[in-house]
Amino acid sequence: MIRMENINKSFGAHRVLKDVTITIKGGEICALIGENGAGKSTLMNILGGVHQRDSGRIYINGSEVEFATPADSLNAGIAFIHQELNLINDLPIFENMFLGREPVNKWGRLDLDRMRAETEAIFGRMNIDLDPKTMVRNLDASYKQIVEICRAIMMDASVIIMDEPTTSLTAPEIKRVFEMMDTLKKQGVGIIFISHKLNEVMEICERYMVLRDGELVAEGLVTDVTADDLARFMVGHDISTDVLTRQKIIGPEVLRVENLCHTHAFRNVSLNVSKGEILGLTGLLGDGRSELFQAIFGAEPIVSGDIFIEDRRARLHGTEQALNLGIGYLPGNRKENSIIKDMNVLENASIVTWPLFARQGIIDKKKQENLFAEQKTRLAIRMRKNTDNINTLSGGNQQKVVLAKWLPAGPKILILDNPTQGVDVGAKEEIYDIVLRLAEEGMAIVVLSSEAAEIIRLCDRALVMYQGEIQGEVSGDTMTEHDIMRLATGGSLAAS
Amino acid sequence: MHAGTRQEQSRIRGWFESRGAADSHFGTVLVLVILIILQTVVLGFDYSSVGHWFSSWARNWINILRNNAGIGIVSLGMTMVIITGGIDLAVGSTLVATGAVIMTLLDTGPKGLFLKMGLTGIPAFILTVGTAIILGYVLGTVIGLLITKGRIAPFVATLGAMKIFRSVTQHFMQGYNPRVPREFLKISNLTVGNLMFMPIIYWLVVAAVLHYIATRTVFGRQVIAVGSNERAARLSGVNVERVKTRAYSLMGILVAIASVIQVSRIGSMDFANAGSGYEMDAIAAAIVGGTVMSGGRGTIIGTVLGMLIIAVMNNLLNLFGVPPFLREAFKGLIVIFAVLLQRKESA
Ligand SMILES: Nc1ncnc2c1ncn2[C@@H]1O[C@H](COP(=O)(O)OP(=O)(O)OP(=O)(O)O)[C@@H](O)[C@H]1O
Ligand SMILES: [Mg+2]
Repeated sequence: MIRMENINKSFGAHRVLKDVTITIKGGEICALIGENGAGKSTLMNILGGVHQRDSGRIYINGSEVEFATPADSLNAGIAFIHQELNLINDLPIFENMFLGREPVNKWGRLDLDRMRAETEAIFGRMNIDLDPKTMVRNLDASYKQIVEICRAIMMDASVIIMDEPTTSLTAPEIKRVFEMMDTLKKQGVGIIFISHKLNEVMEICERYMVLRDGELVAEGLVTDVTADDLARFMVGHDISTDVLTRQKIIGPEVLRVENLCHTHAFRNVSLNVSKGEILGLTGLLGDGRSELFQAIFGAEPIVSGDIFIEDRRARLHGTEQALNLGIGYLPGNRKENSIIKDMNVLENASIVTWPLFARQGIIDKKKQENLFAEQKTRLAIRMRKNTDNINTLSGGNQQKVVLAKWLPAGPKILILDNPTQGVDVGAKEEIYDIVLRLAEEGMAIVVLSSEAAEIIRLCDRALVMYQGEIQGEVSGDTMTEHDIMRLATGGSLAAS
Repeated sequence: MHAGTRQEQSRIRGWFESRGAADSHFGTVLVLVILIILQTVVLGFDYSSVGHWFSSWARNWINILRNNAGIGIVSLGMTMVIITGGIDLAVGSTLVATGAVIMTLLDTGPKGLFLKMGLTGIPAFILTVGTAIILGYVLGTVIGLLITKGRIAPFVATLGAMKIFRSVTQHFMQGYNPRVPREFLKISNLTVGNLMFMPIIYWLVVAAVLHYIATRTVFGRQVIAVGSNERAARLSGVNVERVKTRAYSLMGILVAIASVIQVSRIGSMDFANAGSGYEMDAIAAAIVGGTVMSGGRGTIIGTVLGMLIIAVMNNLLNLFGVPPFLREAFKGLIVIFAVLLQRKESA
């Protein structure tokens, strides 16, 4: 059993945690929820030895402990799946699985065989089709997340902290992760589960704890509340998840892709999007949709096929050119593809839009700040100074900054890959609303998402991909989770 | 107790940061100030005649700065290159290559190109400097293209260029000893009130321009973005190849300027040895100034401070009478020390 008592933490003058007291029991899955920037990750980072608390105590089974480093925490039996991916790209999967606790054989050499075998075993148990020898660099975000989860699971920890483990996973993997969590729970492991997907919380957790502005404002049994209650606890008022409406004016075609092929990620893809339309793309792990749109953005080479922008054939050989042709692309996997860790918030938010505030390559600081100020209020980004490093923002707020860099760019077509990853329920609605307004203003929009619910709420029609090919299209009546899942698993829509 | 001092430290740092500098050069400035105080003490403070003391102190400083202006300018370009995640080992060779061209153009002997064309005086000087800068730009761009289009690792590409530029220069300059006109030497040796400080002015101007480029232009910020997260930069529509190539082109231009200063200071150049070791000195200045070798972090001001630290330290070692061969060891030590400090700070 772990108890954190009266934990306080400030960053500079900013009080992030105020007298937070929580208890986690073995054999229980406990949800930790709260708005973006509420302090969830900070609290867990203190338990994980990443940050040091200013005051308060931590007890494990009644005796006080002190975690000066992440290793201390790990040695005390606490495994931590961080919000951002934490793998070494230049090592194969199986070596990543044992980072920092590599087994050695009797000669003192790395026991690679054992590492491989154990990795294979856990993948087998999780029913994951991955070769442990694959370099992590070649995995996409979802697979990386799975590797992280497996790594934590095989640590024989007594407590596992999962900070938004499901943001880039699709339904089948989430299901398998939940099954694993269930097994671990039965073995007496305690799990702290952070998520902005409240339906997941309702499904898997027994208890909930809600942080708001660094204070613990509610806790109790999940069976006593509804998802709406949880949302209300988080923000302090009701959240309307009304049906999204917009004035739908579909104009001429903006983007057309014909028989696009990649070396391995996708084949024979043809699609088109029109002005004012919101097209969804979904599928399961390894469906190739991210690579497909990276290719359309000029960041991935294509083997054959054509891309047309407003009926003109575009031969893309770089992202700058794609940008100039009016294509915008917000990638998934924030940490690796979007965040520039050595730049401050303002600069991260203005890396795309410099033509709007620079003349002859010289930056007009005032204009730059004004442009960002607009987005800051529009997206309710919770931050302090523009000059703070981007890493001082909470995960969800980083995501908003990344989104903010594309909004004023005004591309003809905006591709959003998992745009709401890690943002809280309230902000999610805001972002949906912004996307609709952009479409109303005549932008063509493509939303890539693994959440069928998101696709259904947001999109006019959606293409479902399966193993690099477009398996089918859903729209209107067929836009249901059931049909999407059918196509995503390689089936076809029943002839009606 | 530890926490107390750490908090104190971060308060002071915070104060520096709130004074407008995004990257505080707190540690670097501190080290420099300590070294300068030490140097002043060693030089001895003359209470009887403050004026006299000050003028000799100033003279010593002008000497230090003037001697380091050329390499100081090179280190600024090196900073930009390192921030992109690259390195340029060819600076010394580019320096002799441009130096050779400058001298050939201006030679007062029978082979002097401009003399043959009847071009002398200021117009010849301007054309020479212009040609040198263009040549530096071209050589830098070639290196940049090898790295970006040719996909050769910066270390390898510039190592190759380093060998090629110097050996070709030496070949063509074999047995040829051009002399530059005496007036050309004014560029570096003009005396104002019996002080010679022109190279310092060039250094300051170049540093100011580069600081502006690095902090206020799109290119400068893109350099940081590319070095910090190349993939994210690319996915934000940044033309990564062009940004990198331009960093090397800029490096070439700066080396050409350094070359002009070098030639006009002494009027001759030893093509076999001139500029050798510049790459290491430039890298050292950048590192001491807080530039991180893996890219993404570094500032022009930091590098100027880094160069000053190395220069003052050299001066001190000189004053202490440390044998010249040992001085390089101290340079090595301070670089290692700087990196250790950086690691502690980022942890
Ligand atoms: N290293 C840091 N330096 C300064 N401020 C920080 C730092 N880390 C976090 N913060 C601030 O602490 C607050 C809480 O952040 P935290 O990451 O704990 O939020 P969170 O609840 O995990 O949010 P999210 O759901 O977006 O992940 C935020 O306002 C954030 O800006
Ligand atoms: Mg978080």
